[in-house]
Amino acid sequence: MRSTLKNKRRAILAGALALAVVCLSVALAHAEPDKKTDPKPAPKKLTGAELYAINCNRCHPERYATEFTAAQWKTIMLHMRVRANLPAAQAKVILKYLQEDAGN
Amino acid sequence: MKISSLIPGLAVAGCALGVALTPRAAAMISDEDFNALRSMVTNQDQRIGQLEKLHEQDQQTHQQDQQTIQQLEQRLGETQTLATNAEQKAEAAAKIQPVYPVAGGAMSALHNFTMAGDAEVQFGQAQGQHSTFSLADFAPIFLFRANDNILFEAGFDVTLQNNTDLSGKPNGGSSTSVNLSFAQLDYLLNDYVTVVAGYMVLPLGTYSERAAGWLNKIPDDPLPVDFLPGAGVGAQLRGSVPVGQAGQMLTYSVYGVNGPSSTDGTADAGSLDLGGNVGGDAIGSPNLNGNPSGGGRIGWFYPWKAHYDIELGVSGQSGTWSGNYLWSALVVDAAIHISPYFEVKGEYINTWQETDNAGTIQPTGWWVQTSYKLAGLNLDAPVVNDLELVGRYDTANDAMGSTTDRYTAGFVYYLTNTLLLEGDYEWLINHGFNANGLPSSQFVIQLSYGF
Repeated sequence: MRSTLKNKRRAILAGALALAVVCLSVALAHAEPDKKTDPKPAPKKLTGAELYAINCNRCHPERYATEFTAAQWKTIMLHMRVRANLPAAQAKVILKYLQEDAGN
Repeated sequence: MKISSLIPGLAVAGCALGVALTPRAAAMISDEDFNALRSMVTNQDQRIGQLEKLHEQDQQTHQQDQQTIQQLEQRLGETQTLATNAEQKAEAAAKIQPVYPVAGGAMSALHNFTMAGDAEVQFGQAQGQHSTFSLADFAPIFLFRANDNILFEAGFDVTLQNNTDLSGKPNGGSSTSVNLSFAQLDYLLNDYVTVVAGYMVLPLGTYSERAAGWLNKIPDDPLPVDFLPGAGVGAQLRGSVPVGQAGQMLTYSVYGVNGPSSTDGTADAGSLDLGGNVGGDAIGSPNLNGNPSGGGRIGWFYPWKAHYDIELGVSGQSGTWSGNYLWSALVVDAAIHISPYFEVKGEYINTWQETDNAGTIQPTGWWVQTSYKLAGLNLDAPVVNDLELVGRYDTANDAMGSTTDRYTAGFVYYLTNTLLLEGDYEWLINHGFNANGLPSSQFVIQLSYGF
């Protein structure tokens, strides 16, 4: 009787252990990062040069940064932000890009 | 007995052997070798002593380095704290606008004043007429930036032009005109809303806001644009909302203006005055209509990469123009850029005008313009590379008996990025009661400069 009871307990323990191993392996398999299903990295923010090319050249010929001083660019960008409905963040990046090589 | 007698014998023999071998072993290590060995050991002792001293010095140096690193780390932390505090203070200071303008180099009037604009000279000939320098135009835009959020801007149009009759035919003499194109105050309320007030360029379509001589690639305006007011007195809210990080955006404009008026105080079909402000009537009333006009535009701009984009917009305006008679407009605009060289754009314009003598009339028209920069052919030819070919079709029906279709072919030669030589030839097909007075073709050459 005792041996039968022990065998049953062992069988139950072995089954539980096997089930735990299977569950753990399945859980680990799902927890492991899958390169194929990884979310795409956040899109790169556009640079001032890129935003300038996207927004400015579609309405008028290219104006070179050296054509105006940094202060003049600030005023002109304010005018263009209103006239062309440029988003504030984009206008700031474009302004910074133009001021980097602004004339004296 | 034999064994006991052997032991003393072996002992004696061992002693004898030991005595005999001892002098030979001593002879193997000489005094010189011993002294050399001793001096070697002494030197090694000294070297070990020196190494121990060096080790102690290294340990001291290491401890000093550790202390220096700790001090530097402390200083770095203090510096970072100071920088963070300074940044916070700067942000807080930036939010506080001075009540009065601060005098000084950075805020002086001239420092914040900028002039932009354009100038044009036209030479042309219409069929049946003499060729002539037909126009000289100076169109400055004065910009004054009061601070980072306030801009005042005003545009003028000073033009010397041959006098013409209603059909555009010269009728003797010339005149100089000075027109106020716009004069508006812009207050950037936040990143998404700008408040505009004054005499504003109206966002009915996009042509009116991008119509400077050096921006338009053809010297004259599309015909149906004449059905719309270019500017109006009132107030406007406008701005844009970026969508994503790729440059896509939604734009909007909402405005209220005095609206169109009547040239003679009547509500007859030919009396519409789109000049931009309400006029008085013949009996002295300062305002022909008590109801201002409202309008706006919604636009969507989608660039999938630089120089590759599409823009779509819908705009309109409605209000009374004379008494209770309504004038309304609907404009659909579109523009596409494919590469830095190819562009297509156009507008569809429909207006409704309630009149006293002709019921509701519906002046309407549309135009489409395409252009291609030959630099896209990669011919590596200097003159060709600076050339852009332009074509346009426009049509306008004034709903009062006249319709005009026009085909235009032209070019833009970029002498510099802002000095343009434009030329075009136009074929006109006129229908209606005054068609006989209109030329069937003309050419125009224009030198444009943007500054």
